[in-house]
Amino acid sequence: MANDSSLSEGFLTTRVDAVVNWARSNSLMPMPMGLSCCAIEMMAFAAPKYDVARFGSEAMRFSPRQADLMIVAGWVSYKMAHTIRRVWDQMADPKWCIAMGACASTGGMHRCYGVVQGVDNFLPVDVYVPGCPPRPEALIHALMDIQEKIRNEYSVGQDGDFGTDHPAIAPVRPKVLSPSGDDVITPGGLYNQ
Amino acid sequence: MATKQPRTLSFHFQPADSAAGDDANPHAKKTTLVDDTVAALKQEFGDDVLEVVQYAGERTVRVTTARIVDICRFLRDNLGFTYLCDLGGGDRFTEDERFEVHYNIVNMDAGKRIRIKVRTEEESPVVPSVTSVFPAADWNEREAWDMFGIRFEGHEDLRRMFMPEDFEYHPLRKEFPLLGIPGSLPLPPQVPTGELTLDPFPRAHGSIPPNSFDEVESEEEN
Repeated sequence: MANDSSLSEGFLTTRVDAVVNWARSNSLMPMPMGLSCCAIEMMAFAAPKYDVARFGSEAMRFSPRQADLMIVAGWVSYKMAHTIRRVWDQMADPKWCIAMGACASTGGMHRCYGVVQGVDNFLPVDVYVPGCPPRPEALIHALMDIQEKIRNEYSVGQDGDFGTDHPAIAPVRPKVLSPSGDDVITPGGLYNQ
Repeated sequence: MATKQPRTLSFHFQPADSAAGDDANPHAKKTTLVDDTVAALKQEFGDDVLEVVQYAGERTVRVTTARIVDICRFLRDNLGFTYLCDLGGGDRFTEDERFEVHYNIVNMDAGKRIRIKVRTEEESPVVPSVTSVFPAADWNEREAWDMFGIRFEGHEDLRRMFMPEDFEYHPLRKEFPLLGIPGSLPLPPQVPTGELTLDPFPRAHGSIPPNSFDEVESEEEN
């Protein structure tokens, strides 16, 4: 058996995108934009009990140059929005954004003149986390959604031929077969986008 | 054989201030019973003490706006009220004497607390600043200026406390709409090199900030 496996030669073949995305998704460095009470849950998310180090994201980076995932945790005032956008612009590509909690997603209970009604008014948000505040599990789930998003997108494989339309990549998700064994049924529920 | 008798629960907690209120609020504390202080104020300032309201066992003294600094200094130097606990504005939304400023001043030694109020007109809401007496009034007066537009004469650094410097309105005035005035508070640009967003709800109106890799590269090289 060892003779007909490529593993016996000490190498294997794969796609560059798959390797790069695997590395990126398991080493996300969050930029903790903790603005209010959601930040407490974000600390719990990084602390030993919930231990986001299991997902490779334990290195919170307070410098935008070293971070690639911004977690906006808390309500954003119009005054603060300019700072957040500035920090976001300083983050190096590729970068992702989580709007954590009701306030960051929609303005939440702060429906008033001073609070931006959702950070998606000035940031490209990838994942919204409901809750007031969300539990750390919810934030971990958001992080896993970001990881899944990263694994399913082009990375460096797209370099060199910008401007061409790529077909959508088939999602790397378990497929459900019909009882007859031929039709693929899209699984409903959580991951059905 | 004696049976065990149930004992009445006894609490050993003794509040420092026993209830000393009137009929309206029997739970009011002695700290707000400041009749001696009010009498001393009346004796010193006479007609400048306009009104003494007694509600729920608490005394609120309304005084002449122009003399608030003298009254605060008298309270601090002569009556021992050395701690300005709170200062804030209010909008009564009335025809005359629309705005109100309250001062909550504490005598730490005697354990007493008095509330002073002054009122001012809508046309030119000006109240003398008490920062010369209580330096702690600094930020509170800036907040009252920010939120209500009450100018405090004699304040050395009367800037806005919360809202941006170029904001044109005073948001806690009653006529200010809850969701603000569109265009008065710009959002950041949707792309790094773009213009400020004046629409407060661009996402609801269909404008989605592009991902960074979709942003059009700037012509300028910095």
